[in-house]
Amino acid sequence: MRASRGEKLFYFFNYVVLTLIALSCILPLLNVVALSLSGASAVASGRVTIWPVDFSFYSFKSLFSGTPIVRSFWNSVQITLIGTGLSMAVTIMAAYPLSRRQFYSRRFFTMAMVFTMIFNGGLIPTYLVVQNLGLVNSYAALWLPGLVSTYNMLLMRSSFEQLPGEVDEAAKIDGCGELGILLKIVLPLSKPMLATLSLFYGVGYWNAFMSVMIYINDTAKYNMTVLVQNMIKSTSVVQDFTDPTMVANMTPEGIRSAAVIVMIIPILAVYPLLQKYFVKGVMLGSIKG
Amino acid sequence: METSDVAVAKSPRVGGQEPKEWRRHPAWRRFKTNIPLLLMFLPVLLFYLIFRYAPIGGLIIAFKDYNFYDGVMNSPWVGTYYFEMLFQDPRTLQIIRNTLMLSLLNIVLGFPIPILLAIMLNEVRIMSFKKTVQTIVYMPHFLSWVIIGMLVTTIFSMENGMVNRLVTSLTGEAYPFMYEKASWVAIFISSGIWKDMGFNAIIYLAALTSINPSLYEAAGMDGASKLRQIWHITLPGIRSTIILLMILSMGRVMEVGFDQVFMLQNSNVNEIADVISTYIYRIGLQGAQFSLTTAMGLFESLVAFILVFTANYIARKFNEGLW
Repeated sequence: MRASRGEKLFYFFNYVVLTLIALSCILPLLNVVALSLSGASAVASGRVTIWPVDFSFYSFKSLFSGTPIVRSFWNSVQITLIGTGLSMAVTIMAAYPLSRRQFYSRRFFTMAMVFTMIFNGGLIPTYLVVQNLGLVNSYAALWLPGLVSTYNMLLMRSSFEQLPGEVDEAAKIDGCGELGILLKIVLPLSKPMLATLSLFYGVGYWNAFMSVMIYINDTAKYNMTVLVQNMIKSTSVVQDFTDPTMVANMTPEGIRSAAVIVMIIPILAVYPLLQKYFVKGVMLGSIKG
Repeated sequence: METSDVAVAKSPRVGGQEPKEWRRHPAWRRFKTNIPLLLMFLPVLLFYLIFRYAPIGGLIIAFKDYNFYDGVMNSPWVGTYYFEMLFQDPRTLQIIRNTLMLSLLNIVLGFPIPILLAIMLNEVRIMSFKKTVQTIVYMPHFLSWVIIGMLVTTIFSMENGMVNRLVTSLTGEAYPFMYEKASWVAIFISSGIWKDMGFNAIIYLAALTSINPSLYEAAGMDGASKLRQIWHITLPGIRSTIILLMILSMGRVMEVGFDQVFMLQNSNVNEIADVISTYIYRIGLQGAQFSLTTAMGLFESLVAFILVFTANYIARKFNEGLW
């Protein structure tokens, strides 16, 4: 079937609009990359668009020497790795029993968990619980209150339920207990789902902002999001600078842009690897129940 | 319900068993397989009790005059005092109005965009183009609001912003986009839509794959134009997904994300940019007005709860309910 004139027009319009949407997502990022790699005078005079002008690494140099970015980077790494590990472990510990048909009152437990998705205590009562447990100013306050996302748990449960039943029948005959079935059969078969949810949890911890603002008072424990936010909101980005060549070669915009690049790189590094998985994961979520 | 899953209820009870026999009973077997599952589930149970249900119990401080020394249980009751305070103070009413306005705009304008994007992506015949566009538009979802906020303020900045350089070259004068209320709201809403439209389109793309392609062929034979095909085949084909997500979005009517407002707001637009989440943070945590802001939080949760139920009730009338 040949395309009619109307169809040709439709397709042309479609490609143009999609290209514009994609450009709107990529150009701001290119602008930040260009700003972080441009010379101070070019940044200050606003000559930088999407390509570095007077290429220089000064913004990165002053970022690493004049701000606690390295420390906060490691804080973010620590928060993300331990947090993702804990969240995944407990999410599996919730999803696996609930996916087993012989588990006692699994329907009651599921309902009780889903209820917390549509009704919750909110910020202040949660804060009081964390405070009473003495967790304020420790990373446990970032990990524990949001340990399990009920939505993620439901995704994982339904992916466990979709595994063929014969596999664990065979495992039982071979003398595998429940733990054996989980570790040797269910988890290895659920790698796409595990990858998806690790990405979701990981990104959540990496981007943690409000929880750090609420629970962490010690500036040495700040993660990158809060540090970069402080750099954006305050006028003096870099605290102590004595080196005159440094001062002459830096701009607040340049340093902020460099900080944003440092924050984005880990996400960009894992994103292409995990893209095919999270598309699958979200698709699973479209199945009701 | 549960017993129907296994053979427990139906199993005949054998009377006068030898001591060993009860070990073969299905109920005992079920209990035995449940031991590791229950042990595994224990931390989960603790998590939900401590960090989900205890805060729900803690909502009682909305009806008390909470102070640190007396704690949640012993602080004196004040009835609906804090609710009256909330609904009589024009400033808090303004905050509730702001929250409703921003989130309704966000839902009304932002809800159709991912559907449109999914339909447009679905019509792309060049697979490499489709893949590239998908990869790019999913990405902003994974960036924190700190980054997006910085991108937005850089682009619209008065001094060197890309947009204002264009505006200056056209009109000779820069426009304070981030400091005028109308343009601030426009930027706020569109940045939120921009961040999540790609990611939210994934679920519709999944739904679109379930539409039978022969429907399009038949419609094409009958001379239906592309737009008519989209209207009569594509949209009805993803109807239940649309309704499902509509119900879920109702739960967020009272919610405007803290990070987004916190990053984009400035003193010039605070009058319309202050929302419930930033209010609770500022007055509740920084100002230590725990009872007052818990009352606000309870109000927020209740409205969201009622809206989800109402939306589901209406959807059930059309046999599309969530439960």
